[in-house]
Amino acid sequence: MARLDRTRTANQLRPFFSSQNLLNRADGSAQFDFGGSSVLCSVVGPAEVKIRDEKLDRATIEVIARPLVGLPGIKDKSRERSIRETLEPLILSGLHPRTGIQIVVQTMKDDGCILSTAFNATVLALLDAGIPLNSILGSVTCIVDEKSGEILLDPTTEELSQAKSTHVFVFDNKSSISTTGAAAMDLDSESSPILFSDSTGLYTEEEYFKCANICHKAAQTVHGFIRTAVQKKLEKEYQQTHA
Amino acid sequence: MTSTSAAPSPAFTFSASTFQKLHPAEYFRKFISQGVRPDGRLLTGFRPTTVHYGVISTANGSAMVRVGGTTVVCGVKAEVAEPRLDSPDQGYLVPNVDLSPICSSAFRPGPPSEQAQVTSDAIDRVLKESKVLDLKDLCIEEGKAVWSLWIDVVCVSYDGNIYDAALASVMAALANVRIRKPTYDEGIVKVSGAQELDDDNSFKLNLNRTPLSASFVLFDTSLELLADPNFAEESICEGQISVTVDEEGQICALSKVGGGSSSPSILKECVDRAKERSKDLRALMQQQ
Repeated sequence: MARLDRTRTANQLRPFFSSQNLLNRADGSAQFDFGGSSVLCSVVGPAEVKIRDEKLDRATIEVIARPLVGLPGIKDKSRERSIRETLEPLILSGLHPRTGIQIVVQTMKDDGCILSTAFNATVLALLDAGIPLNSILGSVTCIVDEKSGEILLDPTTEELSQAKSTHVFVFDNKSSISTTGAAAMDLDSESSPILFSDSTGLYTEEEYFKCANICHKAAQTVHGFIRTAVQKKLEKEYQQTHA
Repeated sequence: MTSTSAAPSPAFTFSASTFQKLHPAEYFRKFISQGVRPDGRLLTGFRPTTVHYGVISTANGSAMVRVGGTTVVCGVKAEVAEPRLDSPDQGYLVPNVDLSPICSSAFRPGPPSEQAQVTSDAIDRVLKESKVLDLKDLCIEEGKAVWSLWIDVVCVSYDGNIYDAALASVMAALANVRIRKPTYDEGIVKVSGAQELDDDNSFKLNLNRTPLSASFVLFDTSLELLADPNFAEESICEGQISVTVDEEGQICALSKVGGGSSSPSILKECVDRAKERSKDLRALMQQQ
């Protein structure tokens, strides 16, 4: 069945786009696009932190989510918490005790999957800022369609409004490095540890794990894209410094 | 010649409660390795739960839920409001969770804390996305007047796992709601106030389903699952998993945040245990 945008199959993601180092005054920044959705993320740190928030053995991570229009509301608070709690174990914050790392996530264009876009933009910005991480994460959203019951990856706003359930997943790249070649083809559900998951709507257990599996496969593409983006950026920087 | 140095006696000793204060994580780990928790529960055990209905006489519906040391009171107030232009026949559901300094020293006065906002948002999404209530039932006169349900959850005593307790209290309070039948006449909504509420002059909400949740924390790198965490357990453990299911076993919401990447087998276990727990909780709510 053709999707609403008539250009994709159910398991296809929208075209990615990213650019790093866009902001002058931040230590690291990146923009990540999933088709018509775009998020700009800036990272400042490790920098001084308010005494009240200071942690003796690690860096304090602060995430600020800004909506497309208007003032931040409770949806943005939820998004902040999701991003922060997922990044806290990812960032090697023990290397920078008593400092703060501030991450600002600004929605630029909204056509669905903002949380996933924000996750991917944040990772690129952290890499740009040179913050040590123990793995790279990749995030993908999918929905179960109300009418057809089909699982659609990377839905647009229009598709989201017709969803029976919505699922956001984050996977790290630790599990994807080892699964190359034939092993990557048949990823069974046991091999995909889920870093973050947020699902709403009405769905069965079976549907949920099917979605998790499909999103895990799609997250490999995101990991690959992030790797290429970083590689290209480093090549460019190397050429500039050694010209 | 010191013979005492050969004996392996510790330099100094202290009581268990001092040890707990000095090394909370280590204290906890010693319990978990033995398969019990400091409060005597097994790892899979939920705290004793009670539900009381109609605790606030001035509200249209109310309930109080206790889960161990966590006590929440939920009141539902129905108010007549003007509908939105894009949905002229739908009422409003406005859930709000209040975590004030009265319930724990962990909360400061001032604007709602992040946790309060996140819990409110989670309840809001469960109520709306899993279609607990048909918002069209709240219509009085299309395009003119609808019911707006203010669902306020106040935490009186906080000891962890606020989401489970708050959601249970919201569902109990919604089941307890009685609204006087309104009459609409040329732009004026009239609600008679004097006589006692009965089936003729009031109506109950028609709930499509009753989602109830079970939360777990992931402890340490060993990834032990602890059901229904209390405040101390919440602050030690990093990963948190909440599963919300309805009476037919359908999942209404599932969230996994924080440290520890959980394999699908852990999530499956959580779903199974959540189904059991919600069955018990549902039976408890229907007893009253």
